[in-house]
Amino acid sequence: MNSYSANTPAECLTLESKLSEISRVVPPWIERLASLHAISDRTRYAMDLCLEEVLSNIVRHGYACESSRAIIIRYVSQRDGFTLVVEDEAPPFNPLITEDPPIPRSLENASVGGQGIHLVKQFADAIEYEPMPNGNRLIIKFISPETSRAVV
Amino acid sequence: MQISTEELEGGITRVVLDGRLDIMGAQEIDLKMNVIAGAKKAVLVDMQKVSFIGSMGLRTLVTPAQAIKGRGGKIVLFGPNEMVEKVLKSSAIDTLIPVHHEFQSAVAALQ
Repeated sequence: MNSYSANTPAECLTLESKLSEISRVVPPWIERLASLHAISDRTRYAMDLCLEEVLSNIVRHGYACESSRAIIIRYVSQRDGFTLVVEDEAPPFNPLITEDPPIPRSLENASVGGQGIHLVKQFADAIEYEPMPNGNRLIIKFISPETSRAVV
Repeated sequence: MQISTEELEGGITRVVLDGRLDIMGAQEIDLKMNVIAGAKKAVLVDMQKVSFIGSMGLRTLVTPAQAIKGRGGKIVLFGPNEMVEKVLKSSAIDTLIPVHHEFQSAVAALQ
């Protein structure tokens, strides 16, 4: 199992398990990271989207909307980009084994759910799941030339 | 998330969305979108000022669109930015609700 540690306090976020906290806390945190690491607007959007989907899944399903549980998110620089590492203490669940939603054939029959992880797979460059002794770890990788140049 | 409406010629309602259509943004406008969907038959959703959309935001578009279509009406999306449109395409929502980048073509699609 790999070890992931953020370099600075600004690169680690501990979130309370409430949907409202995701919208309130995560976008400004991403803005600061994007500014700090000169991350492009497209990659910033992808980070924003992936975290909203992954975190809302943890709050709604992993923690079953039980508030005051913790989710830890770390930004980890890598040679060819960076990863966002998301850890929770929810029951074991690998979101990557869920099937993609069927392609809707008509508006009338379209399902309005199930798009979250599908979108994460589309917007991240790679995703890995690791079971933890007391929870789950999701590693979301972004390959971004502009950050790889900034990393020494 | 801000939402406002404007009545255009030809019985078309322009719904202007402004802000982040994230979890909270979606919750803020869901009720108003559903009220519009229950009353209007030709709806142009102006997305030029939507800076972000996630899966919860997609739901905010699809549910009213289903209601409008179920009542024999029409709905189109107008002017999403590049990344918002990528979300619409990745989820195939663009195949269910037409996306236009020219205002006149969006209006024409509703007539």
